[in-house]
Amino acid sequence: MERRKQKLVKANKEKEAALQEKTTRALLNILEDVEKERKRVEEEKNKTLAVITHLTDGLLVFDEENRLSLINHQAEKFLNIKTKEVMGRSVSGLADLPNFKILGDLLGPEIKSVFRKELNLGGNFIIEVSTEPMLPKGEKLGTLVVLHNISREKMVEKIKSEFVSLAAHQLRTPLSAIKWTLKMLLDGDLGEITEEQRDFIEKTYQSNERMIGLINDLLDITRIEEGRYLSKPVLASFEEIVISVLDFCQQEIIRKEINLELEKPQIKLPQASMDVEKIKLVVQNLIENAIKYTPLGGKITVSVGYREDKKEIIFSVKDTGVGIPEDQQSRVFTKFFRGANVMRMETEGSGLGLFISKNIIEAHGGKIWFESKEGQGTTFYMVLPVEKEL
Amino acid sequence: MPKKILIVEDEEILINLLQRKLIQEGYDVIVARNGEEGLKLMKEASPDLILLDILMPKKGGLEVMADMQKNNHLRDIPVIIISNSGQPVEIDKARKLGAKDWLIKTEFDPQEVVDKVKKQIG
Repeated sequence: MERRKQKLVKANKEKEAALQEKTTRALLNILEDVEKERKRVEEEKNKTLAVITHLTDGLLVFDEENRLSLINHQAEKFLNIKTKEVMGRSVSGLADLPNFKILGDLLGPEIKSVFRKELNLGGNFIIEVSTEPMLPKGEKLGTLVVLHNISREKMVEKIKSEFVSLAAHQLRTPLSAIKWTLKMLLDGDLGEITEEQRDFIEKTYQSNERMIGLINDLLDITRIEEGRYLSKPVLASFEEIVISVLDFCQQEIIRKEINLELEKPQIKLPQASMDVEKIKLVVQNLIENAIKYTPLGGKITVSVGYREDKKEIIFSVKDTGVGIPEDQQSRVFTKFFRGANVMRMETEGSGLGLFISKNIIEAHGGKIWFESKEGQGTTFYMVLPVEKEL
Repeated sequence: MPKKILIVEDEEILINLLQRKLIQEGYDVIVARNGEEGLKLMKEASPDLILLDILMPKKGGLEVMADMQKNNHLRDIPVIIISNSGQPVEIDKARKLGAKDWLIKTEFDPQEVVDKVKKQIG
């Protein structure tokens, strides 16, 4: 009996030992797998971090409480800050770092949505800032802030602008010499001229004027692109501008036998805050275009009104001209656009007038648009707010 | 006695044309071909009006105006700018320095310059 018991105990022990060994082996296997997986994840993480670190764009990650949880090498460089100094701090908590403050002012404490906003970090160092909320499963985990260095593009743009400006300036000098000489010849200040000579000189004078106009347009565009186009606004009467432009165009209206109708506002227009010369340029562009593209004996209706509820002036020029082909209407306000039907006519134009006009009106907080049917005519509209601060 | 006008301009042909036109209108004309010479001449000859270019060798028109402001004898001489530039920033600067008018050369002709001169000093 005792021997049987001992045998049983031994067998049990052996079984237990075998089981334990099996369990240990299984556990070791699992551990090995876990370790492998850990290493794989670690490698993945390192790879991702390497990608983030070596990105040419600066990257900042803020958590759901708007605290900085990651910053890459480029962002450190751009903002001249060290990871140690900034990690875990909120946007407002980072305001004491001078370079971060500029970015913080743009983002706001809650990190608002920003898309390709330019930020000058001093000197010629300009970055473009965009934010992107991180919403993997619809729940906001934080915000990604991307900083893209655009200093080089800005520099090229500046050099281009300076070149055009300088070239235009250098071109204006000889053109003014030509203009003055021809004008004095025409005025008889430099002696008598024959009728035939007068005729030639007059035509040359007109060609020179066209060249001057083109250079002026190019200069205006450079200034628009540099963002230094408008002069200080003053209060002025829009109606007076329209009347003076119509006066200026009178001769051409008579020559083309155009039936001109002027619809004046019912009430006296309030004065509006504007850069008078530039608004005059817009009115002149719209009226001159209408005259240019309306055939002999056509009709032009110029209308000036006021929208009391919106406190804005509405101005329109309707013509019975050649119209703008439908497939080209989306390009009307782009630089150097000229309608295909217009190119066939013998009219001058740089294709810059409407681009410039749109920029002027929008800089005044207004809008410009048109309706057109090829072969029937075009109506250009513009609205100008009277109380807009420029 | 005819009124005296100082032209400060570096473009020879424009000087010739303006000078001719102004003399025809009965003015006395003196000419300087850069800003430094202009300042020297206005101290010596006390002109009644100055037609001043902006982009010039040695000293530009805006610098000339700034120097004039510092001098009691020159400060009140009326200045009309004649320039190829129409940059609002520059026009604003010139007005702050006391310029009476700003003419862009390609937008005006000699007769209109004379009209502006007459408006200032008769």
